[in-house]
Amino acid sequence: MKPSEIKKLIISSLSADADPKEASMRLEEEGISYDFSKGFGDKILDKLFSAGLTINREVEFVRSMNFAFYRIALTGVAAIVVLLISIFLMQGSLSFNSFLGLSDSYDESIVCLLTGN
Amino acid sequence: MIKESYSVTEENQLLKAALDGDKKAFGEIVTRYQKMVARTVKGMLGDSVFAEDIGQEVFIKLYYSLSEFRGEAKLSTYIQKIAVNLTLNEIKRRKRFFSMFSQKGNNEMYEFEVADHDTEERKEASEIVNKALMAMDPKFRIIVTMRMLQGYSTKETAEILDLPLGTVLSRLSRAQEQLRNILEKL
Repeated sequence: MKPSEIKKLIISSLSADADPKEASMRLEEEGISYDFSKGFGDKILDKLFSAGLTINREVEFVRSMNFAFYRIALTGVAAIVVLLISIFLMQGSLSFNSFLGLSDSYDESIVCLLTGN
Repeated sequence: MIKESYSVTEENQLLKAALDGDKKAFGEIVTRYQKMVARTVKGMLGDSVFAEDIGQEVFIKLYYSLSEFRGEAKLSTYIQKIAVNLTLNEIKRRKRFFSMFSQKGNNEMYEFEVADHDTEERKEASEIVNKALMAMDPKFRIIVTMRMLQGYSTKETAEILDLPLGTVLSRLSRAQEQLRNILEKL
């Protein structure tokens, strides 16, 4: 097809009453076609699925961290419970003073202890 | 065949398999739609390595958004929308870059290569189309790409570009006028 005919075809393909499918098919027949280079699909799959491995590893790491945190938190809660029970058994109550080990002390003895008089 | 169309059932099976991480299924989707994406991306950006990068980005984005695809529109429309958005973003990015760092004109923002195996006549035809497209305003170029290269109707173009039908029609007529002026000078 001559350049002038190509130009005419391009212009006419944009007319509101033109059949766009037919025009694009004719242009493709005239060599106006587009495609990506060879191996385009493989490049995408490589990018996607090698990135997928990294993501999987990251997910594994986060999972392990969550598990470790859960175990540490559980051990901490158990330690606090044991401490509370022992305080209750030794001091007989769970008041603030019992926590500080001051439940059976008098104010004067604390002042004496702190000032040395 | 210009427009890719496949049976919905077959496509749904492919999509489901791709969502489950089936590499082969996603590879099949890429093979089916890569030409369609190439027409949009290369029609808008010229036939360059940058267009290949954007093309790859389209399918990578598609892969990560497969779970969001509800099947209300055709898969081809969904992919086309991703391609259009990424291409228009790239044009904006280039425009910003060129306005900051270069005095180059609009045409020089794009490059295109013509396949070596084509005959002289086909090479010339390809060059005319590419030069004319690259000289156009991007908002008209996208309409021309959808219409002339993809073979979409006005309604389909409006759906893909998220524009009212009237806007597409008026842009189409202005695009035709702009293209006529450009082609006269080529």
